[in-house]
Amino acid sequence: MNLSNHTLTNIQRFFVYLFLVVLVVITLIPVWLLIVNATRSTLEIQQGISLLPSKYLMTNYRILLSKGLDLPLGFMNSLTIAVLTTVITVYFSMLTAYGLVVYNFKGRKTLYNLMLVLVMIPMQLSIIGFYQWMSKLGLTDSYASLILPGIASAGSVFFAKQYLESIMIQDLIDAGRIDGASELSIFHKIMLPIAVPGMFTLGIFAFVASWNNFFNAFILITTRNKYTLPMLIQTLRGDVYRHEYGAIYLGLAASVVPIIIIYFLFSRYIVNGISMGAVKE
Amino acid sequence: MFKKLKYDHYGYLFVAPFIIGFLIFGLYPVLNTVFLSFTNRTLMARTYEITWFKNFQLLFADKTFLTAVTNTWELWLMNFIPQMGIAFLLSVFFTNLRLKIKGVGVWRMIFYMPNLMMASAIAALFFSLFSYYGPVNQFIVRSGFVAEAIDFIRKPSWMRGLVVFIQWWMWFGQTTILLMAAMTAIPVSLYEAALVDGAGSLQMFLHITLPLIKPVMIYILVTSLVGGMQMFDIPYLLTDGRGSPGNSILTNTINMYMKFHSSKGHIGAASAVGLVVFLMTSIVALLIFFLLREKHDEPVKNGNREK
Repeated sequence: MNLSNHTLTNIQRFFVYLFLVVLVVITLIPVWLLIVNATRSTLEIQQGISLLPSKYLMTNYRILLSKGLDLPLGFMNSLTIAVLTTVITVYFSMLTAYGLVVYNFKGRKTLYNLMLVLVMIPMQLSIIGFYQWMSKLGLTDSYASLILPGIASAGSVFFAKQYLESIMIQDLIDAGRIDGASELSIFHKIMLPIAVPGMFTLGIFAFVASWNNFFNAFILITTRNKYTLPMLIQTLRGDVYRHEYGAIYLGLAASVVPIIIIYFLFSRYIVNGISMGAVKE
Repeated sequence: MFKKLKYDHYGYLFVAPFIIGFLIFGLYPVLNTVFLSFTNRTLMARTYEITWFKNFQLLFADKTFLTAVTNTWELWLMNFIPQMGIAFLLSVFFTNLRLKIKGVGVWRMIFYMPNLMMASAIAALFFSLFSYYGPVNQFIVRSGFVAEAIDFIRKPSWMRGLVVFIQWWMWFGQTTILLMAAMTAIPVSLYEAALVDGAGSLQMFLHITLPLIKPVMIYILVTSLVGGMQMFDIPYLLTDGRGSPGNSILTNTINMYMKFHSSKGHIGAASAVGLVVFLMTSIVALLIFFLLREKHDEPVKNGNREK
């Protein structure tokens, strides 16, 4: 009886592992093909699938540039926007969350509920009103319209609030007040340094979201040399590149690989961070 | 609490930037969209008239709009159900004490990775993998599965399947992590007590696990719905950006974008699309959240507040 139970568990375990391996293959194959094809010549790609890299990375890069696709510029544009958005989102989310956690002001509950509702509302669908308003302010075709909305990111405030509640030490704030520090400098000099791990997690999510954001930039940015990476990718499908598969894959890989590197460096922060904003009152 | 009271008004200072930012970049654009949807405004003309509900009348008489709404719901549902199913299976495997699966952290890390990929790059990748002369066709023709290459890009069912697959591929890892976090947050003592009372594993799942992970399931459902109703990057970049073949992957946001990007730039009509979908999604999302949440308020407060 005991033995057969044991065998049964082992058989089940075997099938579970088999299932997991199949899922891993499905998960990784598309990305792996993308990276490998970025190093293969168009001829090689047309000759068939290979899982091993080849040696045409630089050739593909040259083809890409020769067709007028300024990959380095797009890369820098995306990086600039993503870094600034990250800084703004993290700072202002922490500021707002600190206000919500530390002070019991009138309207706090209302503001908190507003954020809860905001997370459940498809704000992107107001993009037309956003676009027309930005063009009135002269902010279309400007990165400001992509970066500044980070000041009011409800999802990030949620995360920051959960995090601050878990690390909050009232005594530290009181001690700061006794020392005569202002409320803002208590936030800056006492709270922010303790909150660095949480800010880091928040920052990774803000960075990735901004880096991958196609739709808003697509609507708001029109000048060619301000294009972000996803916008350049969209042009890759045009006729100029129809037969340059190697170059196309390289362009795609360039936008995906930095995120993969970030992920493997910081996956612990990311995986633990996912469930943090999820459960709320 | 005399001391605390003295400082409480500082809260306004801390939340002021958020509120100002929200008014400028959140609330006003929504109100502006509402206003624009009542006008015949275009990007080309300076003047416009208030036409009240004409945009909406035209919209509901427009077959394309109704197709887009149906498509968006279908594409979302077809990826959400298997996404939830696989995630459930995985989190049960990963948390099962008898199976003791090794390397849970590594499996999870791999499954989550696609979620961080640039959706537009992934769509472009699948576009070129499944193009007529692309690798998939070469593979199936050379290995003799089919006699002639399949024109995937022109086959509605293939393209819909691909959109669903990519969405599933990008999101099942995240859903697994969330469900697992909820399951591991359940105190083991609850199961032990149930065992003493003679409960079987199915009973424990139905009466302990399910009720306690319900808040997280609602969160997944609502955020997935809100994201799904705004689906754009993948269907837009997978084919010609017009929902081809035959409007089969035309979604709400593509429809809105096409009105915005039309030769005249009909921002009035585009706003009407945005507003209708905005209201539809918000109402459904808030209903799900508030209706499902109330019933199990008490057990939620006792155990399942994972960080």
